Amino acid sequence: MTDFLSQNRPENGRFGVILKYLKGYKGYLVVGGIAIVMANILILVIPYLTKLVFDLLEKKAPAGEILKYVLAMFGLAILSGIFRFTTRRTIVWMSRHLEYNLRGELVAHLLKLSPSYYDVTRTGDIMARATNDLEAVRKMTGPGIMYITNTVVSLVIAVGFMLYLSPRLTLYSLLPMLVFPYAVNKLGNLVHRKFIKIQEQFSRITATAQENLAGIRVVKAYGQEQNEYDNFSEESQKYIRHNLGMARLQGTLFPLIYFLASALNLLILYFGAQEVWDGKIELGTMVAFFAYLHGLFWPMFAMGWVVSLYQRGTASLDRINRILFTEPIIKNKVEKPYRGKLKGKIEFKNLKFGYNGSAVLDGIDLVIEPSQTVGVVGMTGSGKSTLAGLLARLYLVEDNRLYIDDIDINKWDLSTLRRQLGFVPQEPFLFSDTVAKNILFGAERDDENTLLAAARTAALDKDVRDFPGGYGTIVGERGITLSGGQKQRAAIARALAVSPGILVLDDVTSSVDTETENEIYDRLDENYRTCTRIIISHRVSSVKEADMIIFLEDGRIVEQGGHDELMRLDGRYAELYRSQLLEMEIEKL
Amino acid sequence: MAHDGTYNHHEEEALGKAYDARLMKRLLKYLRNYRLPVAVAVMLLLVSSLSQIVLVFLVKSAIDDHIMTGVRDGFTLIILVYLGVMVLTFIIQHFQYYLTQWLGQNVQHNIRLQVFRHLQNLHLGFYDKNPVGRLVTRVTNDVDVLNELFSSGVVNIIGDIFMLVLILGAMLYINWQLALITFIVLPLLVIITFVFKIKAREAYRQVRTRLARLNSFLQEHILGIKIVQLFNREKKTFDEFEVVNRDLRGAHFRSIYYYALFFPAVEIISALSVGLLLYYGGIRITDAALTFGELVAFIQLVERFYRPIRDLSEQYNVLQSSMASSERIFKLLDTPPAIVDVRNPENNGDFRGKIEFDKLWFAYNQEDWVLKDISFTVESGRRVAIVGATGAGKSSLISLLYRFYDYQKGSIKIDGVDIKNMPVAELRRHLGLVLQDVFLFSGDYAGNVRLRERNISDEQVRQALNRVGFDRFLDKMPQGIQTGIMERGATLSTGQKQLLSFARALAFDPDILILDEATSSVDTETEKLIQAALDELLKGRTSIVIAHRLSTIEKADNIIVLHHGQIREMGKHNELLKQKGIYYKLYQMQFKRELAQKKIISA
Repeated sequence: MTDFLSQNRPENGRFGVILKYLKGYKGYLVVGGIAIVMANILILVIPYLTKLVFDLLEKKAPAGEILKYVLAMFGLAILSGIFRFTTRRTIVWMSRHLEYNLRGELVAHLLKLSPSYYDVTRTGDIMARATNDLEAVRKMTGPGIMYITNTVVSLVIAVGFMLYLSPRLTLYSLLPMLVFPYAVNKLGNLVHRKFIKIQEQFSRITATAQENLAGIRVVKAYGQEQNEYDNFSEESQKYIRHNLGMARLQGTLFPLIYFLASALNLLILYFGAQEVWDGKIELGTMVAFFAYLHGLFWPMFAMGWVVSLYQRGTASLDRINRILFTEPIIKNKVEKPYRGKLKGKIEFKNLKFGYNGSAVLDGIDLVIEPSQTVGVVGMTGSGKSTLAGLLARLYLVEDNRLYIDDIDINKWDLSTLRRQLGFVPQEPFLFSDTVAKNILFGAERDDENTLLAAARTAALDKDVRDFPGGYGTIVGERGITLSGGQKQRAAIARALAVSPGILVLDDVTSSVDTETENEIYDRLDENYRTCTRIIISHRVSSVKEADMIIFLEDGRIVEQGGHDELMRLDGRYAELYRSQLLEMEIEKL
Repeated sequence: MAHDGTYNHHEEEALGKAYDARLMKRLLKYLRNYRLPVAVAVMLLLVSSLSQIVLVFLVKSAIDDHIMTGVRDGFTLIILVYLGVMVLTFIIQHFQYYLTQWLGQNVQHNIRLQVFRHLQNLHLGFYDKNPVGRLVTRVTNDVDVLNELFSSGVVNIIGDIFMLVLILGAMLYINWQLALITFIVLPLLVIITFVFKIKAREAYRQVRTRLARLNSFLQEHILGIKIVQLFNREKKTFDEFEVVNRDLRGAHFRSIYYYALFFPAVEIISALSVGLLLYYGGIRITDAALTFGELVAFIQLVERFYRPIRDLSEQYNVLQSSMASSERIFKLLDTPPAIVDVRNPENNGDFRGKIEFDKLWFAYNQEDWVLKDISFTVESGRRVAIVGATGAGKSSLISLLYRFYDYQKGSIKIDGVDIKNMPVAELRRHLGLVLQDVFLFSGDYAGNVRLRERNISDEQVRQALNRVGFDRFLDKMPQGIQTGIMERGATLSTGQKQLLSFARALAFDPDILILDEATSSVDTETEKLIQAALDELLKGRTSIVIAHRLSTIEKADNIIVLHHGQIREMGKHNELLKQKGIYYKLYQMQFKRELAQKKIISA
């Protein structure tokens, strides 16, 4: 199993991550190596035996004599087959283990990387590394090792036999073979590049069709059918051209392979004949040479292919390492992080925070006592969500700026803190799993009581009972689609199931009607009295009852106090309140 | 099922038989225009197969007539002929390969365009029922599968079978007894190869499903990484991932197992056949019933036997998937477009643009009436506003005018001609459509205004954009109208998208404008821009507007109040308000806020 806690480091070098796991597979490598050598020795004895049979035939030896050799050949083939089986069973097998380990390591590391990493990295990019790049690395380690070893071993053994049989014929027939690996590598890379081009054009065709069909109403309304057809035809034509370019290349490559195979036969035939006439070799030697070169043909090709595998594999490994070498920004910084029970006191001390140099929060000073309810209002972009994210330590805060229970947030043990924090982000992301699993996602006690209590408080219970499978209903793509409001309420229930000491609601009721929203807040007051609640909202009605309301503007707290207090102040908050009141009145008409 | 235009969900996975005469016959029709290339390709293939056999016979002759006898005369000739045949084979194979690929690519292109053209002609009702993703697959992947059938399948099957026949024939010709002995082993090779292919494909399919599962797990958890971390689920998520990862590894192991068994098996069989040849051939040589050359030729023929077998087992897969793909493609092609031109369309010559709805009834599904007994007239150059709550039938009404759907009863006439009797393209050419949901294409601004209409010049595009006030945004872009737009206009604001769609309608300069006003709110600045652009757009044009803006409604010549598919009130703004009916209530609900906001802004 891949070790979740392990981390690979740049100082271990490019191959560090592979070598780490390879050590555990020494057995496979040793057995596989022996199997390759044995399989090759055994199979390459056969042509030699063939030669001996031919020699016997020339001497008109009795059939019984020949039978012995033939049976021996058959026995050798079976033994060699067993070793060949062992080779794949160990080395390719090992490469799948390795792939599994690497993927595990990669995912374990991805799980630890901080949100700021994901803010700048595309999901598609990460996916490509976890799939295509990983496969390239695997091919380099498994089949790569297998083919290169096989080529070297079979070359050594075959050449040994050939030299023993006829040094001159060996020289003549083997020399031309030496260009194979080089040619295969060059042509292989050419094919690869052309293939990428074809894939790209295919994607363009797909995108063109996709857009056309998705926008068919506009296409038809503006009578663009023929023009769209012409455009699509052009894209299709380009695809054909790319494919035919490839056909030209492969149409040379494939016949070339057979041409070379025949050429080798011709060389043996021509030079072999001279040797036979000179009495230096027998016909059997020639036949054996046919077989040896036939046997060496693919290994020599494979060698060129292995070079390509290595080139692509290392490039992919570098891309994977780039993820593995990225350090998570958010992690425990002190030796003995604080692991206490969360009481719920929050204190900001002149907190400043910004992304890439621009300040989002500036000079925040605020003390929130345990079990208080605090409402945060302000326009879009005033820094409300950032404030919430900092509480969950999604982003890195300077030391001595933010205290939880009078302890610097950076001195808290990350998982201890998060375990006791209920966070409901603006985007209610749910996993395509059952409703129950989603609600109990972070719950330590994942029993039915926790589930129902959370779902009821979040006013979700009634909805879930109407689902075909109740709490066992799968949500998302593979199951039923939840409405925006249901998703938000499920996300609230998920946060509540944690039994949090601090609950952060980041504008989570935008798709929930006012009545249900009030119901949720009432139940929160009832069932989560001891929990500190931070309610961020667009709607004044959501925060009206809070113990304290802060109004954020451009990253600063511009107003702070209870509802009545702020109304008396008759400032920003009061203005927002009045305009929203008017809106509600109109809504009721 | 073929004609109702809907597709079953599970069909994608279904893989049926490898051969269906009916489908095959229809597929082969695509080769009708390529009779000559097909014939040439097949001929080249036959010649190249034949030449390989010739090489074997040359080796035989070299051994028997020269090497074993010591006769050097004529040996050089054999070598030269061998060389010549080699070069010739290379050339023939090259052209043959290219030609078959060319064939496959051309047929693929033709089928792809045919499918695309058909999709362009299909009615909107079809698109309502079929997800776009699946239709895209028809045009892309399914056609690609057919390419394989035409480029490697059809021709190669003939070639492979011919090659096998040649090899068997050559064996029988050289020595029929020895040939029969070889035939004992060869069926084994055939069986093992086919069994392996089937097993390997099953294993491969399992690998693919598990890989898909792993990928979607990964994708989902990367998208939801924040949630995973916030809820302290890293370890548990990792454990779940391990299970999926291990499953995938298991599937790979199974497939390795088949490969590990298969390759040695082929090697053993080939050793077995060479052994048999040596033994029985040896006996015959001692009896002088066989020559050394013949024995060597036999060995070489056996070596050549394997490739066509392997190819044929490959072709089985190609056939199987192309039958499945072609069935899906044909099903789509067999869905007739519901909206087509009548045989002798009427031409209304001088276009004025008077629209008459007369006792119109319409339902998407039979008898479930969405519009009931709709009658009204829009005189040329006048503006009609349609108001009503969500679901009143407003959008259906304009879809009918466009003939996106056909109505069941009554009629819609333009300048006295029933739109069903007009050529569809002609009808739509006179209409301009602006929808709530603005659909933008990837490309540039120019491309989104003129679409693919080459007759609309850059200058006209610029003018249209200027007239809707888009120039203020465009001025900031160094590349002007050639500035790129992301797919679906992801980087544009709602207001900008609307303005763009206005510019699009202006550029096409339609006689009649159909407008579905957007409800989504925009900031005051943009709102002013949109108001101005709307006035510019509607100026002097016959128009039907599904109105959400008070200002648009007030300027209408006639207001139609649609309620549950029926016209309940009709008239001018002030008249309707006085009636204190549905319009009055809607007005209270929808527009009072707008008035209130205006007051706040002006105050």
